[in-house]
Amino acid sequence: MKPSEAPLQVMSHAVIGFPSLEENLGAINGLVAAGVNLIELQVPFTDPVADGPTLVNACYQGLANGGSVRATLALAREVSARHPQTTFILMSYLNPLYQYGLETLFRDAADAGIKGLIIPDWLVEQVEPCLPLLDELELAPILMVAPNIGDVRLKRICQASRRLLYVVARLGVTGHQTLWNQEFDQYLRRIRQHCTLPLAVGFGVRNAEDLRALNGKVEVAAVCSRYIEWQACGGGDYAASRIRELMVDADLISPIR
Amino acid sequence: MIRSQQGLFGKFGGRFVPEILLPTLLELEETFMTLREDGAFWQEYLTLTQQFSGRPTPLTPCHRLSGQIGGARIWLKREDLNHSGAHKINNVLGQGLLVQRMGKKRVIAETGAGQHGLATAIMAARLGLRATIYMGADDIERQYSNVFWMRQLGADVVPVSTGARTLKEAMDEALRDWAANSENTHYVLGTACGPAPFPELVTYFQSVIGQELRAQARAAFGHDPDAIVACVGGGSNAMGVFAPYIDCTEVKLIGVEAGGHSLEAGEHSVRLKAGIAHAGIAQGFKTLFLQNADGQLGHTHSIAAGLDYVGVSPIIAHLSQSGRLTADSATDEEVLAAFRRLLQTEGIIPALESSHALAGGFRHAARMNPDQNLVINLSGRGDKDIFNVARAFPQPEWTAFLRRELERQPESTSPAGESSHEAV
Repeated sequence: MKPSEAPLQVMSHAVIGFPSLEENLGAINGLVAAGVNLIELQVPFTDPVADGPTLVNACYQGLANGGSVRATLALAREVSARHPQTTFILMSYLNPLYQYGLETLFRDAADAGIKGLIIPDWLVEQVEPCLPLLDELELAPILMVAPNIGDVRLKRICQASRRLLYVVARLGVTGHQTLWNQEFDQYLRRIRQHCTLPLAVGFGVRNAEDLRALNGKVEVAAVCSRYIEWQACGGGDYAASRIRELMVDADLISPIR
Repeated sequence: MIRSQQGLFGKFGGRFVPEILLPTLLELEETFMTLREDGAFWQEYLTLTQQFSGRPTPLTPCHRLSGQIGGARIWLKREDLNHSGAHKINNVLGQGLLVQRMGKKRVIAETGAGQHGLATAIMAARLGLRATIYMGADDIERQYSNVFWMRQLGADVVPVSTGARTLKEAMDEALRDWAANSENTHYVLGTACGPAPFPELVTYFQSVIGQELRAQARAAFGHDPDAIVACVGGGSNAMGVFAPYIDCTEVKLIGVEAGGHSLEAGEHSVRLKAGIAHAGIAQGFKTLFLQNADGQLGHTHSIAAGLDYVGVSPIIAHLSQSGRLTADSATDEEVLAAFRRLLQTEGIIPALESSHALAGGFRHAARMNPDQNLVINLSGRGDKDIFNVARAFPQPEWTAFLRRELERQPESTSPAGESSHEAV
């Protein structure tokens, strides 16, 4: 499949309870106003093994401020009602959802207006048995692939993923720079051979050059750690303005509001 | 031999990791599964442990102690006499052979008490590999002598300052490093935890302890022991000594966890006692984790950094729930009393981790008959605990010596202790 003609969409992030439960709502409103159409709502976790220092610290702060699965679902209900055009995706490590009860979680998340799930430690073998229920609820498991994946497994993951495929741009954890070189293009071509879903690229998308490099190659770019860094240093309004600036600089949206 | 059902032990174990780690775990699993069917590989491993680590370790009778306690005859399986001072080196030497076969040039490890980090640094020095050791910042303070030696051996010791700054966080950080560097790096996981195949693989190498014990016990008293006692942090020394006895149901297997200050949340590391820990999925595997209702992992405490861990081997969780293993615990106070008792009665300096097995073992021995035999796996020696023990049993002369020694140390340009590879 060829990439779509529509401009690159930006996906951004909220860690529930970071910097506080009260501020989450305003920050999300700011992101929507800035033109972000896809937002991950991350359940904070004590042991986020796929995340780098920025998101690890946000998780700890989020937990200290009451971030939880229930708080995430409550926020999802509120923001999805307020912003029906925006796609909200629940991002969590497996254990908080497992303790909540996976099937109950699927139903409650769908009911709260969540459209997709990103769960880094939930492998395709464990996702597949849940697909009938997830499809029925129109709740999309958004699975991840990494550059070191073999073709057989890639195909299997592409078949189980729904709505988007999350393309981990490089080996490692979130929050560091990535190079968009020929090797990366080859990786994308390999994925497109097996995948008809739109591709969301994450891990190391940090500035306008990154977005320009990805525009026309993939459909979605996840700017998450960078956004949380801005939020940590200047608050939600500042972070939203920086995200908007990024999108304008990358010619993804027009500068006039 | 311990065999999983596709990585599972009952309902525990498995592999729950970011996709990025899967290829390297599968490569490791394939290498391990092939080699363990090869008798020559086990022989190569045994020879290495004999030539490098002083195996077989002795089975030592404790005559005075047994007389004092008045119950079963007490024997110690002397893993403290391994090179590096603990059973940890068994697993590390075995994984070193795997690293050589996989052709990787760098190893990483998590460590709590520092014994596994030290063993990994030793193996890396011997095989000419680069080593990075992740250790909780609080554990570094508790076990500084091991940190000192790891750095002398050329390893990079990275303090982990997130969360509770202990073993759990060190393991998270090692997994992050591995996600970035798995192509040239092997993660030498130190205990029978983590994603498959680690619990099975670590148990395989550590089972050398139990295999030796079987032969030694028969030679010493003509049959299998009536009971075997081991401390349980992650569970590698316990699995090592228990593994060959799993199907010998007449041998009682007792695992002693860290009772810490009390059973209040955050004050202990007791996971096997009913109703305290719950089945959960984290750090790549499913086991009993201390956690809250939202699935957030809890804080733990033990006087012994090596037992201060939030989860437990999935094999131990399974054996405990199926009734094969009897779970017990010892408080910090009981541990110090047992430490002192062994030291002064038998002239052996145990690690604080292993002193948990002593505390539990002494209790069980007292309820047994003099014609019965109880073996305690003495997993490590206590040299590393000199500062902790000095605090528990103060000696004014020691404190005065430390002051004098501080004045004798050369001025260092780097901040106290950290990142000083060139320290003399």
